[in-house]
Amino acid sequence: MNTQINRAGRIIKHEYLRLISIGCILLFAILPLLTLAFHVTGEDWSYILQDATFWAAVKNSLIYTTAAAVTTTVLALVAAYLLNTSSLKRKNLFVILLTLGMLVPTISVGLGLRVLFGTNGFIDLLFGAEIEVRGFSGLIMGSVMTSFPATFLILYDALNYEDKGPYDAASIMGIGRLSTFFRMTVPYLKIALISAFFACFTLIFSDYGMPMEIAGKVSTLPMYLYDQFMSSFQYGRGSIAGFVLLVPSIVSFVFDLIFKDQSESEKQKKLIEAEKSFNIGTAVVITLLCLVLFLPQLAFISLSLTRAFPNDLSFTFEHIANIFSNTHGVGLTAYIWNSLSLSLLTALFGTAFAYLLGYLSVRKSGRMAKVVNLLALSTIAIPGLVLGIGFIFLFKGTNGYFYGTVLILVVVNIFHFLGSPYLLAKNCLSKINSDYEIIGETLGISKGQIIRNVLIPNSVSTLVEMFSYFFLNSMITISAVAFLCSYDNQPLSILITTYEKNSNYEMQSVISLIILFLNVVARTGFTAIANTLRNAEAKEVDGGIGLERHEFDFLTYLEKQGRGQYSLRKMADDLTISLNNVQKYLKELNDRNYINIFADGSIEISEKGLKALEPYRVRKAIILAAGFGSRLAPVTLDTPKSLVKVNGERIIDTLLDALVAKGITNITIVRGYKKEQFDALLEKYSTIRFIDNPEYNITNNISSAVCAADLIDRCYICEADLYITNPDVINKYEYQSNYLGAKVSETDDWCFKKINGAVADYQMGGTDCYQAFGISYWNSEDAEKLKADLRKVYASRGGKENLWEIVPLRIMKKKYHLEVRKCHKSDIIEIDNFIELIAADSSYAHYPGYEGFRVE
Amino acid sequence: MAEPIIQAVNISKKFKSKTVLEDISFDIMRGEFLSLLGPSGCGKTTILRMLIGIEQPTAGKILKDGVDITNAAPKDRNIGIVFQNYSLFPNMDVYHNISYALSAKKMGKEEIDKKVKEIIETVGLEEHIYKKPKQLSGGQQQRVAIARTLVLNPDVILFDEPMSALDAEIKVILRQQLKEIQKKLKITMVYVTHDQEEAFALSDRIMVLNDMRIIQMDTPYNLYHNPTDPFVKRFVVDHLDLKVKSIEDSIK
Repeated sequence: MNTQINRAGRIIKHEYLRLISIGCILLFAILPLLTLAFHVTGEDWSYILQDATFWAAVKNSLIYTTAAAVTTTVLALVAAYLLNTSSLKRKNLFVILLTLGMLVPTISVGLGLRVLFGTNGFIDLLFGAEIEVRGFSGLIMGSVMTSFPATFLILYDALNYEDKGPYDAASIMGIGRLSTFFRMTVPYLKIALISAFFACFTLIFSDYGMPMEIAGKVSTLPMYLYDQFMSSFQYGRGSIAGFVLLVPSIVSFVFDLIFKDQSESEKQKKLIEAEKSFNIGTAVVITLLCLVLFLPQLAFISLSLTRAFPNDLSFTFEHIANIFSNTHGVGLTAYIWNSLSLSLLTALFGTAFAYLLGYLSVRKSGRMAKVVNLLALSTIAIPGLVLGIGFIFLFKGTNGYFYGTVLILVVVNIFHFLGSPYLLAKNCLSKINSDYEIIGETLGISKGQIIRNVLIPNSVSTLVEMFSYFFLNSMITISAVAFLCSYDNQPLSILITTYEKNSNYEMQSVISLIILFLNVVARTGFTAIANTLRNAEAKEVDGGIGLERHEFDFLTYLEKQGRGQYSLRKMADDLTISLNNVQKYLKELNDRNYINIFADGSIEISEKGLKALEPYRVRKAIILAAGFGSRLAPVTLDTPKSLVKVNGERIIDTLLDALVAKGITNITIVRGYKKEQFDALLEKYSTIRFIDNPEYNITNNISSAVCAADLIDRCYICEADLYITNPDVINKYEYQSNYLGAKVSETDDWCFKKINGAVADYQMGGTDCYQAFGISYWNSEDAEKLKADLRKVYASRGGKENLWEIVPLRIMKKKYHLEVRKCHKSDIIEIDNFIELIAADSSYAHYPGYEGFRVE
Repeated sequence: MAEPIIQAVNISKKFKSKTVLEDISFDIMRGEFLSLLGPSGCGKTTILRMLIGIEQPTAGKILKDGVDITNAAPKDRNIGIVFQNYSLFPNMDVYHNISYALSAKKMGKEEIDKKVKEIIETVGLEEHIYKKPKQLSGGQQQRVAIARTLVLNPDVILFDEPMSALDAEIKVILRQQLKEIQKKLKITMVYVTHDQEEAFALSDRIMVLNDMRIIQMDTPYNLYHNPTDPFVKRFVVDHLDLKVKSIEDSIK
């Protein structure tokens, strides 16, 4: 019975949250609109219907909006198509440049155009040609510039999801580009084009920042609305204008709701590259477009950074310095602070809220989930201007607590910009496996823990994107905030409107420039964060970041020694590095969390350190034990050499013990001669496996290596007859492929020289060289080469007569860089003949037939 | 074997007006490997969801060791589940996928470590302990998913068509591994599938479902040799015969 209550409790909690968020959207997005309706009286209606200025404003708005929206959509389609179809390398750079306009307020674009074209504008002063830009021409030009980035992104995104397979097919069939554009691209984009057109239309129709500068005598609907509210105080009439403003957004919203297909289908990437001429053409066109779009920005940047444009073109920071000073200017720092804090708060809480909405609408089905989704989406349709005035009506009563504080600005921005980040969150969360919550339930992990430990870590890059969207838009918006900010919390963007009123172009330019600068910095930062996160993810899949040699040495040392208090001196001696370096490396490793340093001064390798070592862990050992060992006859007449006992212990046991002690239990023994005797090893070492080499008596040991070739990867290859006295010749980790050797002044055994740290001149007998011990390590890369080369040599004529190590050390030595791994000569006793056997174990002196054999 | 661990008594399930299961009863024996076999939409996944506790029967009750668990929360049932796509936590490595449930229970660090390492050894994942799911093969992921449920010592593990997305060749290997783990741990496993071959290869008993009802519940041997219903004959016997015949034809 108890459990039943628990279950009910959990359900309620979920629905509870949904109800709260639905309440929030109703209160802050829908209710403000409804309040507007209450302020409209019959008298207002009759006035508006007969008001010629109202109808003129509607007509004007429709004319320039339609003209601009059509132009923008066509331009955006061309740009998106060209960029998407071309094989240019730095497409992202072009996308950034084309959307640069998103980083400044629309009013700044209007300002730029005025500075460019107006009386005493750049063109007038430079060429003496005065072009009247205020009016329809300016409105259309400005609208295209402000609405281009968003429209372009919609189409570019849609094209990225298009299956490119058919284009390759068409190009193989010799169908021209123009034909595929009209017969394939445009039909595919139909819905996206209409949707982009509506979005573009809505954007232009409800913007009042840009027209403020450039409309001149042409009255537009947003300006009519603004006047009704701010000058005539006719709230009812203004509200009616607000509802008219709402119409295109609602049409656009409903269209998207019905037609826009958000499902992603399998798509094939383009395989055939575009012709060079097409790429060059695209680069030229896009660059020109970027320049044109950037003209207004260029204008206000020039105006802010030259002494007195165009008479004195010398570069100066004077205007900027002036505006910051309290005596001449306005103390701009305070406004910057207002803007930044407003944007950061909006981004922070907005991201959290939008993510929560996404969670509530997709992570558990239910009728409420659909309501959450619909309401969250509907906020897209509300123009900021309308939302702003709705807020005035609704919250005037809370003056001092909410109204008039920075809080109301944050809230209005969150709900104004909510739609897009919500969609981002929704898409991201719906792609994350829906079974995690159920898994969590069966494992006793709460939903909150799943959100914190699974969902959020898997949506970090989306969260950055959402944050970025809220932040950048809050920095440039004026529509909703204009009605709600007070003198104390006015952000930068609103300050531009103040200077617009007294036609102070320098001030407006400088402020626009500062906003542009801050947003460029912010966007660069966000992009960098997103890229870092993406790269980190990619690296994880690749198996982690590699360690430097000194880090590897340090970490393996600590791993081996375990937690303890080490003196710096001891570490320096053990690792043969300087005291300074010990300190430096300790700090480095600690900074990277590879080691834990405790309060009592003791040090240990951390879990992360172990993880970093993991790629270097020796995975297995292959022991070549097939041979007869003729030089040890007569003992080997009954027993394979590696199973001969020395001091009561089989020779091979010394190697097996050393391997097992280092955690290497994946051991394969290639056997041949008297192979059945090896089975006895299983009693003591249950994990070893055998491979039989049937050719052991007619070939050299290369055949054994070939038998085990498939297994060679991050492994030791060992000879079986090494009597190991120091188990530390086997390591748990190896940094790179290597061969074991002991420095000797003279030997008649196989030996090599060390040149540039690598094995060289492998030969029988030498002076001042390294005596080769048959233990080598092979990392993945070298293992691949070795497998192939062993087989190649083995298959070649006479190849079977070789020792296996001749292949990498002599025949194909140029392909390998094997590090010399040093040991001491006494670490391994080589027992190559009977005399050496007796030297190691004197009991063999009594071996039948060898009684009385003595070694000097 | 004789003692049931789970008893379903007169279970019915309706979604709105649509009936999915009509008054079915069955026992699951301790330590057995039971497959729920049937065509899509026969209600087998619904049974699984009711056993795990994310769905409640409209009528009837479910007993575990004699205790009514019909409305118990999933976490109170001590039943684990392995999903079709394994649903491993992608941001956590093998170790943390397995240890997560224990740390959520605020178990001591050393205890967790001991337990997790033990389980990792049982399922043979020592080499992959610090790998992320993306770096593992399908078979390794399956073992992680099993290990993740094993760490809580469940009485029963449920499998929701865990191999349906895999290549035929890999399936055979995975079956082998799964069978080995079950033998080693002697844990009760309930396996949902629509693949006749898979059910026969794995199960001690098979529950054949169709059209809201249990048609026959028996050992693979009896199902094949003594089908009690034309559906079993058609869906199971004929299908297997056809398969054998087609293989024979192709090697003739």
